[in-house]
Amino acid sequence: MNLDVYLLLPLISLSTVILTLMMLIAFCRNLSLTCAFSSIGLMVTLLLICAMAIDIQAAQTASLVDALVTPLIIVDAYALFFSGLMVFSSLCICLLSFNYHRARGEHQDEFYLLLLLATLGGVVLSQAAHFAMFILGLELLGVSIYAMISYPRAGRFSLEAALKYLILSGVSSAIILFGIALLYAAFGTLSFAEMAVLQRENSELDALYILAGSAMLLSGLAFKLSLAPFHMWTPDVYEGAPAPVTTLLATVSKGAIFAVLFRFFLSVDNYQYETILDGLFLLAVASIIFGNLLALTQSSIKRMLAYSSIAHLGYLLVAFIAADSVGGRALAIEASAIFLLAYFLTTIGAFGVVTVMSTEASDHDVDRLDEYEGLFWRRPMLATVFSVMLLSLAGIPLTAGFIGKFYIVVSGVDAELWSLLVIVVIGSGIGIFYYLRTIFAMTKRTMVTSVVHVPQTAGWTLAAVTLLLLVFGIYPTPVIEWVSRMAQAMT
Amino acid sequence: MLEIGLFYVAATISLISTVLAVTRYNAAHALIYLIISLLASAIIFYVVGAPFAAVLEVLIYAGAIMVLFVFVIMMLNLGSAGDDLEHHWLQPSMWIVPSLFCFVLLIEIIIVLSTGDNMLAGTVVTPKQVGIKLFGPYVIAVEIASMLLLAGLIGAYHLGRRYLSDVREPSAENETND
Repeated sequence: MNLDVYLLLPLISLSTVILTLMMLIAFCRNLSLTCAFSSIGLMVTLLLICAMAIDIQAAQTASLVDALVTPLIIVDAYALFFSGLMVFSSLCICLLSFNYHRARGEHQDEFYLLLLLATLGGVVLSQAAHFAMFILGLELLGVSIYAMISYPRAGRFSLEAALKYLILSGVSSAIILFGIALLYAAFGTLSFAEMAVLQRENSELDALYILAGSAMLLSGLAFKLSLAPFHMWTPDVYEGAPAPVTTLLATVSKGAIFAVLFRFFLSVDNYQYETILDGLFLLAVASIIFGNLLALTQSSIKRMLAYSSIAHLGYLLVAFIAADSVGGRALAIEASAIFLLAYFLTTIGAFGVVTVMSTEASDHDVDRLDEYEGLFWRRPMLATVFSVMLLSLAGIPLTAGFIGKFYIVVSGVDAELWSLLVIVVIGSGIGIFYYLRTIFAMTKRTMVTSVVHVPQTAGWTLAAVTLLLLVFGIYPTPVIEWVSRMAQAMT
Repeated sequence: MLEIGLFYVAATISLISTVLAVTRYNAAHALIYLIISLLASAIIFYVVGAPFAAVLEVLIYAGAIMVLFVFVIMMLNLGSAGDDLEHHWLQPSMWIVPSLFCFVLLIEIIIVLSTGDNMLAGTVVTPKQVGIKLFGPYVIAVEIASMLLLAGLIGAYHLGRRYLSDVREPSAENETND
């Protein structure tokens, strides 16, 4: 088979699923069929990506290393890892949201089309090696998410959230484009690889343009990653969006944007500019402190998880900054990949519980803390799953979250970022309070007698995610081995 | 030298009209200035050696998209009140500045066309080159862009349908009232 076609297989398979699903919906509107078809399509894509990942790693030393397909797309182990993460979380969202959507009446099929399109955007972003592809992926992800946030027919909050996200995301896209224009003015090319060559040979580049361009790019992307002080929209949008979309926002959207930003910084080596490092440092500190402090007083689970995701992105930035030293770069890549994997599993699980809880409530999502009181007595399994997720977010051992946070600390120690590590420890300390508060609320004996019905599809998916989370927390060796070889190949 | 002068005149017009477009209170006036700003950018594209981009700028932005905008605004101003409003809008102070800008741009384009191929940048990008790039190395970008349009289409379709059932009933009531 042609090598280019082989490397493009994930994109081709996803696009085929999207187009076939569109035809399917046009001729036969049936939610079960739509959901089953998109799940199978995502599963096939995921298997393809896994097979390619093993294949590429085996052939790492051979000719497959040259993974650039046209100047636009690079399909190396790093891209495959993040593509796999995107497709996996989208598969989980697909299965978790089936009952949620079935309880909300007709015309829910387009949701799955938009979900697949957003996934395609995420995969494009994690494989982008050129700013043209970067912008296209970003917009594909963004446009699908605008429509998904405002998807519910009832309720005004989702419209409000969609409008907020549309305006802020549009502005940040404009800032990113301006930044890219400045980078183009400095380098004269949009391809990451060519920029890297120019940067290395240091052929009289105008540092001012590069600095200004990188700063605009970084602040625009910080909006999308919801890093403090660019985080204002996050809690409102997370609260207003339907729970499955919130899951997507917290996982696919953030993971893909982080992947491409990290690839850009690694390949172009923007770490040589002190100013950018200082900016990153401030972003990390502000995100960890504000995220954790603001989460303390929230009475809505979704808002609490929104602030906690801001803090988690702050932790992730520690590994991002640790890639500054060339020696510690492999470890930093490994740390951020492992952390993101753990974060994805945990976030899917936590928002999955909110999705399951909200299945029966047709006009709003069940996310007030008092609605979760006594959940251990009403639904012991669901409460256990949620507790495991919260413990994983807090970074308690035996869960994936611990492995992730452990890696962040190791990469920080390796790069001697002591002040950042102190902030991470303080932040995690504050974090434990509000995670445990939620768990205690669930153990309370109350008068709430409303029965929560756990639908089968979502229930089994949640069980599988929890199992994966625990397996990864207890025996992470196979994944770590693969990821560390990927990181070695990157540097 | 002449080209640099042309560039600066067009750039100044573009800047001023963009600022005016942002600060106008009336949507129709803002639109006029936005169109002039787009025309000025088209001239800039032409002068720096991208005639194809200039043509696209005029056709797509100043042409198709702006016409849609104008249609929407016209539809919002139905009835006799709209006529009075239009009288009010068409005072000389409102159209003199835009016409002046347009006139300057017209003179510029005449100068550019009459001097031939002396563009500011040495390389002229022809439509053929753009096409070869788009369907050669950048073909994946074209495909993904089509997916982006599909996402926008599906989203707009779903959001639009939200109001279909709501809108039908009130409009039926209006008819009975009339």
